[in-house]
Amino acid sequence: MKVEGEHLFNGSRQQVWDLFRDTEVMAAALPGTEKMEFVGDNTYEAVMNVRVGPVAGEFSGKLVISNEKFPESYTMTVDGRGKPGFLKGSGDIILLDQGESGTLMKYVGEVQIGGRLAGVGQRLIDTVSKSIINQAFETLDQVLAERTAAGKEGREAIYKAASEGDYAAAVTKDMLSAPWMKWVLGTVVLVGIALFLLFMIIR
Amino acid sequence: MEYKVIGKRVKRVEDPRLLTGKALFVGDVSLHGMLYAAFFRSDYAHAKVISIDVNPALKVPGVVGVYTAEDMGDDWEPGPPLVSPPPTLENVVFNSRRQVPLVKDKVKHAGEIIAVVVAESRYIAEDAVEEILVEFEPLPAVVDLEKCLEPGSVLVHDDLDTNLAAHLIQNKGDYEGARKEADLVITRRFHLDRGAAAAMENRGIVADWDEKNQFLTVWDATQSPIPIRNGLAARLGLNSRQVRVVAPFVGGGFGPKIMMFYAEEMVLPWISMKLGVPIKWIEDRRENFYATTQEREQIHEVELALSKEGYILGVKQKFIHDTGAFNPYGLTTPLNTQSHSMGGYDIENYHSEVTVVFTNKIIVTPVRGAGRPQGIYIIERMLDIAARELELDPMEIRRLNFIPPDAFPYEHKIIDQAFAPLVLDSGNYEPAFNKALEMLGYEDFIKEEQPRLRAAGKSVGIGVVPFIETTGVGPYEGARVSVEPSGKVSAATGVGTQGQSHMTSFAQIIAEQLGVEVQDVSLVSGDTAEFYWGTGTFASRGAVVAGNAVHAAAKDVRHKVLKLASKILETPEEELELEDGTVRVADKPEKSISLGELALLANPLRGAVEPGTEPGLESTKYFGPAFGATAFGVHGMILEVDPETMMIKILKYIAVEDCGTMLNPLVVEGQIHGGVSMGIGNAYYEKLHYDENGQLLNASLADYLIPGSTEMPHIEVYHMNTPAPNNELGTKGVGEAGAIPVPAVFAQALENALPDYDLEILETPLSPNRLFELLHKREEKS
Repeated sequence: MKVEGEHLFNGSRQQVWDLFRDTEVMAAALPGTEKMEFVGDNTYEAVMNVRVGPVAGEFSGKLVISNEKFPESYTMTVDGRGKPGFLKGSGDIILLDQGESGTLMKYVGEVQIGGRLAGVGQRLIDTVSKSIINQAFETLDQVLAERTAAGKEGREAIYKAASEGDYAAAVTKDMLSAPWMKWVLGTVVLVGIALFLLFMIIR
Repeated sequence: MEYKVIGKRVKRVEDPRLLTGKALFVGDVSLHGMLYAAFFRSDYAHAKVISIDVNPALKVPGVVGVYTAEDMGDDWEPGPPLVSPPPTLENVVFNSRRQVPLVKDKVKHAGEIIAVVVAESRYIAEDAVEEILVEFEPLPAVVDLEKCLEPGSVLVHDDLDTNLAAHLIQNKGDYEGARKEADLVITRRFHLDRGAAAAMENRGIVADWDEKNQFLTVWDATQSPIPIRNGLAARLGLNSRQVRVVAPFVGGGFGPKIMMFYAEEMVLPWISMKLGVPIKWIEDRRENFYATTQEREQIHEVELALSKEGYILGVKQKFIHDTGAFNPYGLTTPLNTQSHSMGGYDIENYHSEVTVVFTNKIIVTPVRGAGRPQGIYIIERMLDIAARELELDPMEIRRLNFIPPDAFPYEHKIIDQAFAPLVLDSGNYEPAFNKALEMLGYEDFIKEEQPRLRAAGKSVGIGVVPFIETTGVGPYEGARVSVEPSGKVSAATGVGTQGQSHMTSFAQIIAEQLGVEVQDVSLVSGDTAEFYWGTGTFASRGAVVAGNAVHAAAKDVRHKVLKLASKILETPEEELELEDGTVRVADKPEKSISLGELALLANPLRGAVEPGTEPGLESTKYFGPAFGATAFGVHGMILEVDPETMMIKILKYIAVEDCGTMLNPLVVEGQIHGGVSMGIGNAYYEKLHYDENGQLLNASLADYLIPGSTEMPHIEVYHMNTPAPNNELGTKGVGEAGAIPVPAVFAQALENALPDYDLEILETPLSPNRLFELLHKREEKS
């Protein structure tokens, strides 16, 4: 399935790129992250817990970064597997300079999902993944704002990571507001995008 | 013939046990020291297995063993071929590839088994499965029925240079010649998609090897215990007298519980023999979606040649049938489609080409209807389109083409699923059709009710579809009937019960002959220890094939009873009557002897049984028909579509059915009701969604929608009786009938309900979403 979306960050490309490279920030933005490590050859491995409706469990994934063009774009390929099923995908991440408005991040790719995640979790993926993405972007926006403010004031940036509770509340809110059958443009697969964001930070 | 018991609305004798939870299902079997199995199944539809590490699972406390293909050694073997290609046809391509007990090197559909864990409880076994580490190399999946035949396509079976599973052509008359004379030739393409059988009870197996007795007992929720017994004995190096397979009460079969030789059916007995303990596995609902066979996906290119009056001059069709990753069940389903694509119509010229393909999807074997719903859908859709193009009454075009009643037996000059010539043994289609129109109030609806409702803004439509069903095919079944010293009767047959009411309707056949109460006949079906020979319950054949064997055995016992009574009562047989469990002299009712006493005398403790006679009042008989019995019927309905939500409401549903002699009308009506509910699912709710990677996207009953009581209309059933000429009882099968015409009825009624859209439905199953899309497309065009 196609994975596509965009988000406008209130900061420069350099800032956004740096943000994504900050392991601590990104792990905080993505709930369920257990561990991650660089294994060489532009390849990373990570473990995270996911829950899509009735489907829950640990996922371990491998990600490879290629075509890196700082600070504009790169391609990544993910391959994750776990008790809830598997995912495979690849996509391009593009950072567009929007001048005063900031940086527009665009992502587009193809993701395959399988196993329990596909067979049982299918109709929830849309909503759950959107919740995660929204929450991650919200956290990243806050961090970016705090960094900008701290930079101006010449102090160290402080930020509070979103808790699992915040995430659960966000999912519930989105479930109630978005009817399951409604297909929203720019749909993202939960795990694909979660891993994708996760791996961006460890660049 | 006038019957006293056969054909009566006798309440089911099995119901008290079933309704009070006293009937044995495989899930109820619990044995001392029993262990439980759980399976590691592939999430991938197509992948190489690089490595398997079962050690972490073995370390889980409570795990007794973990087995992979490697552990099976020389015992590893694909399932037996069940149905060979038809020997009488020329130029048949048939590449047989059968399912394997455990995957060795390459996964060919999601859900295939890589390893099995045996543990003290199912909980432990399931947990341990999650500890098994398998390294896969995922491969692109073969999913599309047409692309898979293109050169360079990925292959499901690497040892074949193609995804072609089979190819055959059947030809009758001269289609091309007929086409030249036609006033109208219509060409259409149809896509019919997959559904699940979704029996209420999933599959289940308990295997128990008794080392000291050297005896294997297997409880199996199967439709065919005898072939399973034979196959297990052969595979496990036992003789078939060392194996007993019991199919106790089974909660619905619908085809997929056929003698498939599912991987689990092979693996559990094999492990039980290794460990010398009983092992149990009950399939869960999610496994059922991945591990139990499915059916119906076909793509058809159809041509219909007609005269301007509406006479069918010929039919030509080319279709691709998806058999999934393996084809253990041969060509049964596509041959049924071929046989039924002419419906009950007098068609002289027919050309039908079948291509069967392997894909990385769940295995296909017959599901209730078994290719017939597809055939009926095709011809009925084409006739609806033809009527529109020729501006004929859609009902009249059918009447014009029916095979007339004096043309039976009608030879179609092609072969059917049983490889016998397709002969429609009997039929009387037009009266059934007219009766259906009358029950539905067709004329009145079209002329008055529909215009009135339309004026009130309602989208209401009507659909009427006649169909035939070839039933009651061979090879044979048998039955044993014995009079007990208690005066009651025991009986056994090889066709197990999955809800068909065998214990009632077969008892009626026996009661008819032996003059006992239906309740006093106890029948065992589906236990190889009780009846040794036979094949199983499938192809709408129980009432025909087993029914006539029961009839023959009961008649023979009656003969023995009268012969013995004649001797004892010193009265000629012709003067005796057998009623209320007693043989009486007709005009001297006080001179009598009970069946129980006769049974005792037939098995004496002293004296001698006369040479040339057998002890007891018992008989075993077999019945094997040369070709099947053709049932037929007509379904009709009036439905209303909500033009905003596309949800439908069935306002009226009627079924005229003719299954020849009815053993029990209550049972026949139950079969029709059940069949129609499956048909409604096939038509408007149930579709298995696979993605381009062979992943099933709706593998739960929350997403795969089965019609519930709220979707079921009241069904009015009318019975006709055109007895089957080739069996003594005159019975025809009815188990699948209800499901066969429903998608075609739906399509016709939906088109009729939405005249403004100029809708042409060329697919099934539909759904509210899909109907919305179709209407939207039509709107865009116009």
